[in-house]
Amino acid sequence: MSPYGLLLDQTLAVSQRLLLEQWRQRRGLIFWAVFPAAMMLLFGLVYAHNANMRAGLDAAAAGILMGAALFFSCLGGTVSIITAERERRTLRRLLASPLHPAAYFLGVVLAQMVLAAVQVLMLYGIAWFIGARYHGSLLLGGLILLLSVFAYVGMGFFLGARFARRSEEVVVALSAIGVPLLVLGGTFFPLEIMPAAMQTLAQLNPMLHMNQAFKGVAAYNFGIAELRFELTFLFVFCAISLALGLRSYRLLLVADQKV
Amino acid sequence: MTVALQIDGLFKRFGKQQVLNGFSLQVARGDVVGLLGPNGCGKSTVLNIICQLMQADTGQVQLMGQQKIEQSTHARTRIGYCPQQSALYPDLFPQENIQFFARLYGVPATQRNSRVAELMERFNLVPYATTRAGLLSGGWQQRLSLAVALVHRPELLVLDEPTVAVDVEARMDLWRLIEGMRDSGTTILLTSHHLAEAQRLCNRVALMRDGKVVAEGSVPELISRVPGQAVVKVQSEDLQAVIQRALDLGWPVRQHAGKIGLLLPQNLNLREIVDALDGTKVSAVSVDPVTLEDAYLELVGDSSLIVQS
Repeated sequence: MSPYGLLLDQTLAVSQRLLLEQWRQRRGLIFWAVFPAAMMLLFGLVYAHNANMRAGLDAAAAGILMGAALFFSCLGGTVSIITAERERRTLRRLLASPLHPAAYFLGVVLAQMVLAAVQVLMLYGIAWFIGARYHGSLLLGGLILLLSVFAYVGMGFFLGARFARRSEEVVVALSAIGVPLLVLGGTFFPLEIMPAAMQTLAQLNPMLHMNQAFKGVAAYNFGIAELRFELTFLFVFCAISLALGLRSYRLLLVADQKV
Repeated sequence: MTVALQIDGLFKRFGKQQVLNGFSLQVARGDVVGLLGPNGCGKSTVLNIICQLMQADTGQVQLMGQQKIEQSTHARTRIGYCPQQSALYPDLFPQENIQFFARLYGVPATQRNSRVAELMERFNLVPYATTRAGLLSGGWQQRLSLAVALVHRPELLVLDEPTVAVDVEARMDLWRLIEGMRDSGTTILLTSHHLAEAQRLCNRVALMRDGKVVAEGSVPELISRVPGQAVVKVQSEDLQAVIQRALDLGWPVRQHAGKIGLLLPQNLNLREIVDALDGTKVSAVSVDPVTLEDAYLELVGDSSLIVQS
């Protein structure tokens, strides 16, 4: 098998394994679906009920997808995957195998992409029912989703390798680091109502750019020209994320040695 | 003799603790070598370095003549690693676990299914084909773990305490499986706390203490280093009198865990032993051949084991 063939097969093996495990843990799968669905339903009903907020319904659907659904499944899911590998001691077996770090990273990205696609369909199904609509290019929306999943997985690797050694620590690590990022990403409040310093800080937050880019496409039918800045930021962040993910895989090795 | 694994002068320090202190070992192709030693002597650290889970501070590991195996993906494909705890994916079925690792190790797609089926058969896992790995008992998980380690037909199999935390029956089963691998010519390096396990499975044993090998050889070679033909175990109201008598007779005395063993310099029958110990209030005597356990205590054990007059 050629090195690229092996890399591809390893990537597919990792993603298939993760999806199969997810499928077998049905209870987790139900909770994973209930949370964004409930968020969409509650926010959607509030928006739909108030005539002056109705215009924001399309943007709310995009915000919930990026902020609530993908954040918890892609970032939280990645942290959980890494801590589970560590707790089950399969990590040592992976590290002793010829599995390429990039194949492991891309395998996680691929599995999360499949889950994200299901979440998009589910969330936009509910949003459609409430009255929200998707206005922009599907291709551009898909690209932003891909970049966002990439970025979330990279951050998940970093958090998982550095901060979450045990499954009990996952929720705490997510709450401590993730929720402030969600707030600064404009998921709960619009950026305009934040103090100037917070707005400046928010510009460094990749979640803000994911939110703004996807809202731009989904709610306002923006094209590449209007989203140039957000897309550039996301591309650069994805490159950093990949480097961070690969470095974190190596860090797992070092961290595991100290245990 | 073809050398499968050559380890020279490994040193490894964790903080202030020097875990490996010039560890060297040679494993010939087809050998089953057991690494024995007390807890914390560095056995698992050696395996971790061989499997590239850790880097030595200094020293060299050569696998099948390949130097500098550190960070070598190719070297990883030549080693099968079975960790101390089974390390499996609990929600996957046994064949799914084997299949997953087959793909990671690049087993060609055309051979994968037949290899998985062969291992399922060989390790008697077929009746558990639809049982999730996490629901298997410890012994069956360890079987599966061994099957996973063999999926890519490694040239060297590294087993870190393969029968730890399994019941006696499962241990016997695992021993039979490892014997099967040994008989088929697989080179195996294993660590163990069970001396009987090493005596049964290994054709060479390396005894470790303080991060280095203190004695190495075949089981009979190691046993021959004990200064006695047999070990006499004695129960008596007056052990001091027994010890003194044995020393007077020129029989070396060893004391371990509150029990004493008298090493017989020549073969004597029970009658002759009882006669020799007459007057020392002996209530029970047993004579056993020298085992690897005696060799271990002699060569690795604390020097305070040796009782002198």
